Amino acid sequence: MGEGNLLRVKNLTLHFRTTRGVLQAVDSVSFAMDRRRSITIIGESGCGKTSLARALLRLLPRNVHSYTGEVYLDGTDVMRMSDEWFRQNVRWTKVSMVSQAAMNALNPVLKVGDQVAEPLRVHRRMSKDEALARAREVFRIVGVPDDFLHRYAFELSGGMRQRAILAMALVTSPQLILLDEPTSALDMLTQANIFNALKDIKNQLEVGFILITHDISTSSDLADEVLVMYAGQLVEHSLSTTGYTKPLHPYAHGLMSSVPTLREDKKLEFIPGQPPSLINPPTGCRFAARCPRRFDRCDQEPPTFTVGAYGEQVKCWLHAKG
Amino acid sequence: MKGNLFALARYTLLRAVMLGFAVVVALYLVVLIVNMGGHLDKVRRGEIRQAVAAAVTMIPENQLLPPSELNQMIERQTELQYRYYGLDQPFIWRSFRYLITALSLSLGRSENLTSDSGSRQVRNIILERLPSTLVLFGTSSLILFFTSLFAALALSRRYGSWADRLVVALAPTSSAPGWFYGIFLILIFAAVLRVLPWGGMVEAPPPKTTLGYALSLVRHMILPVAAMAAGGLLASIYARRTFFLIFSSEDYVDLAKAKGLSSRAIERRYILRPTLPTIITQFMFLIIGMWQGAVILEQVFVWPGIGSLTISAVNLSDTPMILGVNVIYAYLLALSLFILEFVYAIIDPRVRVGAGPQRRL
Repeated sequence: MGEGNLLRVKNLTLHFRTTRGVLQAVDSVSFAMDRRRSITIIGESGCGKTSLARALLRLLPRNVHSYTGEVYLDGTDVMRMSDEWFRQNVRWTKVSMVSQAAMNALNPVLKVGDQVAEPLRVHRRMSKDEALARAREVFRIVGVPDDFLHRYAFELSGGMRQRAILAMALVTSPQLILLDEPTSALDMLTQANIFNALKDIKNQLEVGFILITHDISTSSDLADEVLVMYAGQLVEHSLSTTGYTKPLHPYAHGLMSSVPTLREDKKLEFIPGQPPSLINPPTGCRFAARCPRRFDRCDQEPPTFTVGAYGEQVKCWLHAKG
Repeated sequence: MKGNLFALARYTLLRAVMLGFAVVVALYLVVLIVNMGGHLDKVRRGEIRQAVAAAVTMIPENQLLPPSELNQMIERQTELQYRYYGLDQPFIWRSFRYLITALSLSLGRSENLTSDSGSRQVRNIILERLPSTLVLFGTSSLILFFTSLFAALALSRRYGSWADRLVVALAPTSSAPGWFYGIFLILIFAAVLRVLPWGGMVEAPPPKTTLGYALSLVRHMILPVAAMAAGGLLASIYARRTFFLIFSSEDYVDLAKAKGLSSRAIERRYILRPTLPTIITQFMFLIIGMWQGAVILEQVFVWPGIGSLTISAVNLSDTPMILGVNVIYAYLLALSLFILEFVYAIIDPRVRVGAGPQRRL
């Protein structure tokens, strides 16, 4: 995880104003990822996964309270840049996104092909024909028939729409694609198809993925690294080779134990209790109230410890040195 | 392809027949209502008899006639008058005559009103009033429509800004009608400040040159247009802003933003474009609505338009006149609904494909 990172996030914070107080959706999150890697962010609903992805693309709602931190993309701190610079140089040129509700993510009155080609027309100033030719290429990569270019969104099935959006995300050859629960609205077979398409893309193209999901078992196939989020904070960052089988953080452990696996016979566990409210969260470790391995030090907020051979990180006192 | 065309032709014909039927029913209802279901005939007969009796007895020679002969004469004259107005026939028969005259757009003769040029033809009277209504309401409607459309779009993109809050806070002022503000505007600008005219369409006598006439017309239009703006603009911005706000929270708008499109492109292609059918519908109704004028506003500003014509016609129970104004509106409404069907199909692909006999998938 050296200086040539594709993405390095330092203390990224996104708080929202609500009627009941400030909601800490993303609280001082730091991580780094190399080129062509794919990392998956897992955690329960409402833990800040989606907010984190949207914060990376500066897609903020109206009630932002604070939005701070550093986000180095290719070595440039994009947080310092103006909105207009950000729009032209980050959105869809370096980072693209496949959003959560893909069923409704296509404009109903524009042809799918035009929408897929649109980023090229905007960011590369391509002619319509050039852009459509490129759209045709990416349609092939994601496995959508050519003639769908000239159709409208309502003429496509859910799986095809999701593929079209994936094609849209690839069309400008970005370095990073944020996938925010790309398959949550689809049936199992279509989900598997999309994930296979993603794996092919990963093997063929120079692109990194950040996959946000609560579907732990499917994500394990694609991911090189795993980030675990809890209550707006990043609690673990490890390689997927160990992260799923030997998680470091007690929360990650509970999360992995709750997932059924195909090849081994295991007793499924669950984590009792509920995540804390993100408005005035508890001081100290936010997981302490539900943690089976809680001890005295948990009253103070743990720092992030770097442990293991690959620089795995964990935010838990159990891993404190000495 | 051929089957598609046939289906389209059949659909078009069916729509035309249904709209035509609706127009007939609506106009017949208007006929019944303006005649008070036939009661108006009794009133009219009484009025005619009274007028004839008065006229006949006024003539000095007639006063020497014996009462029975005088009565006979009144009776004869009344019968003639009845026949002239068609009152000798039963109401149900007359109601269909009204309907047919209206539907054929011949509109017939007014019973009590005359045009400035002396014509009693309903058509001539309406045509005489139409330009003045169109110039006032056309101008104000178009200004209000486009101002509110673009102001609303801008506000919906700046939700919660001070301008947005101001419009929301002031929107209830539009609940008072335009003529109400008109009275105050006349008081301020005509009575106190004496900078703008009290009412009317041009100065008297009308300026001779075209330019002078136009300038005078503009001067006379300032207050009525301002009154209509005061009575409608803010509410309409508020309503449209909410409408755009709902449509800008669609996922595809969000994705368009993520794609790095400029604000203008998002507004044009992702907010205005999908909402175009609704906007065009509103615009179409506005265009035909300006035809009718506004009854009270025209009275307040002494504007010689269709609105004040309607009110005189209602006061005088002039059935052909009221029908004439309504039949034109009914036809315009039906026609624009018919046109809108095709406009929708052109601008909204969902309608285009859905209208065919089978959806392709």
